[in-house]
Amino acid sequence: MTLARFIGKSFLALMAFIVLFPIIWTLLNAFKENVDILTRTPKLFFSPITDNILYVLGRASVLDALINSLIICGISVAIGVVFGLPAAYAVARYPNRWTGEVQFFVLSLRFLPPVAVAIPLMVIWLNLGLYDTRIAMVATYSLLTISITIWLAVPAFQQVPKAIEEAARVDGYGPYAVFAKIALPVAMKTLLGAVAFSFVLIWNEFLIALMLTTSDAKTLPIVASEMSQLGLDVPWGILNAAVILLSIPPLLLLGLLSGFMNSMFTNKSR
Amino acid sequence: MTRRQSLPYVFLVPTILVLMTLAFVPLGYAINISLQDKTLISPNSSYIWFENYVDLFSDRRFKNALWISLKWELITVPATMIAALGLGVMMFELLSPRQRNLLCLVFLVPVLLPRVCAAFVWKFAFHPLYGIVTYPYRLITGDTLDLLSDPAMALYAVAFVDLWQWGFFFAVIFLKLLESLPPQPLEAARLDYAKTWQIHAYISLPMLKAPIVSLALVKAIESLRSFDLVYIMTRGGPGITTETLDMYAFSQGFIEAGKISYASSMAVIMMLLTIVIFTFIWKKARI
Repeated sequence: MTLARFIGKSFLALMAFIVLFPIIWTLLNAFKENVDILTRTPKLFFSPITDNILYVLGRASVLDALINSLIICGISVAIGVVFGLPAAYAVARYPNRWTGEVQFFVLSLRFLPPVAVAIPLMVIWLNLGLYDTRIAMVATYSLLTISITIWLAVPAFQQVPKAIEEAARVDGYGPYAVFAKIALPVAMKTLLGAVAFSFVLIWNEFLIALMLTTSDAKTLPIVASEMSQLGLDVPWGILNAAVILLSIPPLLLLGLLSGFMNSMFTNKSR
Repeated sequence: MTRRQSLPYVFLVPTILVLMTLAFVPLGYAINISLQDKTLISPNSSYIWFENYVDLFSDRRFKNALWISLKWELITVPATMIAALGLGVMMFELLSPRQRNLLCLVFLVPVLLPRVCAAFVWKFAFHPLYGIVTYPYRLITGDTLDLLSDPAMALYAVAFVDLWQWGFFFAVIFLKLLESLPPQPLEAARLDYAKTWQIHAYISLPMLKAPIVSLALVKAIESLRSFDLVYIMTRGGPGITTETLDMYAFSQGFIEAGKISYASSMAVIMMLLTIVIFTFIWKKARI
C-alpha cells in the first residue's frame, strides 16, 4: 500500500512537472540570446540578457495593443457586470417559468461558434464604418461577458443564505435594497471570481479579435502572434518574451480564481 | 408588493434585450450574407440563394473539415474527462489538504494561459531541431522528430495541448466535487473493506453522475473553440490534416479567397449543427 501511495504521489509530482516545465522553459528562453536557444542540446545554463523583454516592451505596436486590450477588456467586463449581475440575481431569487428558459438561452449563446459571430459582425461593422474600432470590439465582447457573468453569478447568488435576505426584508428593506446592500456584499467574494473569469476569457480571446481588427484596435494576443513573422528568421527569444508578458495578467488572478472555484464547488449550502 | 414584483422585470428585460440584439442581429446577417456571392475584394454582390450550400456538399475540403472537427471532439472530450477523473481521484486519495491546495494552484495555470501562449509554448517544445520535448528522441536516435509536420501525428500533438490546458483544470473541479460529497457512504464502504477503486467506481462516481455529464458537455462546447491552437501550431496543415471547421471557414473567408459568403454559409451550418446537437443533448442530460 505504501509503495502504491509512493508511486501515486510520484505520478502527481510528474504531472505538476509537465504543467510547469514548459512554461519555465519558455521563461528561460525569454532571457536567452538566439544562439543559446538554437542549440541541438538544450542549454540550462546561459548568460541571461534582457534584450528580448525590452524589445517587446519598447515596440510601439505592443504599447498600443496593451492600451487597446486594457480598454476593451475593462469596458466589456464592466458592461458584463452591469447587465449580468442583476439578471443573475433575478434568475437566482425570483424563479418562475421564464427564468429556466433565460438560463438556457444564456448558456446556448456559448454554443455559437465564434466564426459564425465574427464573419457577419465584420460585415456589419464595415457597413457602419466601425470596423477595427474599440467600440466595435467592446460591443462584440459584451455578448461574451454578459453571458458568462450571468452563468457564473447565478450559483453565487443562490449560495447567499435566504435567511439573511428575509431578515433584511423584515427590517424594512425593499427588494432593490436587499439586492444592493445584502446580496451583493455577501456574495462579493464569489462574484469577484466570476468577474475575474470573464476578464481572463476576454484577455485571452483570439479568433474574434483576429477577424475584427487590422491595425487600430488590435489586442495583445494578435500582436503577440504576429511576432513570429518578424523578418526572415523566427526571433525565438522575442517570441518567448512576448508569450511570457502576455501570460502575466491572467496568472496574477490565479489566487482569486482558485478561491472562486472553492466557493463554487465545495460550499453547496443553498 | 408591486415593487417587489417589478424587480425581476427591471433586472432581466434590459439584459435579455441586449443579449438578443447582440446575438440575433449577427445571426440574421450571417444567413443573409450566406445567400449572396459577397467577396472581400468586390463591393458588389447579388443573391444566389442556396448555391453556396449546394457547393458545400460537393466540397471535399468541407467534408474533410467536418470529419476533422468530429475527430477533434472525439479525441479531446474523452481524453480530458478520463485524465480529470483519474487525477482528481488520485489527488483526493493521496494528498493532504495542504498538498491538494498547492497542486490545485499548479493545475489551474495551463487553462489561464492565453491559448495563443499555450500554443506557442508547445510549438517551441515540439520543434524538431531545438525543442525540449523532442530532445530525448534526438539524443537516443540521432534523428529528428517533427510531430507537427507528420500528417498522422499533427492532430494528436495539437490535441495534447488542449488536454494540457483542460485536463488539469477539470481535475481540480473534480477534486472539489469529490470533497463536496458527504463522507459517510465512502466511510461505510471503507469499513466493509471495499478497495479504493471500488469505492470510486461504485459510489462516488455514480453520485457525481450529473455534474460529470454537465462537465463533459461544457468540454464538448469548449472543444469547438480549437481555432487558436490550430492557427498557431499548424494553420490546418500539414495539407489539410488538422483543418477544423472554423479553420477552414477562416481560410476561405480571409486568407485564400476572401469568399465571405461561402465562409458564412459554412458558419451557418456549423451554428445549426451545434445548436441542434447541444440543445438536444443538454435537455436530454438534464432530465
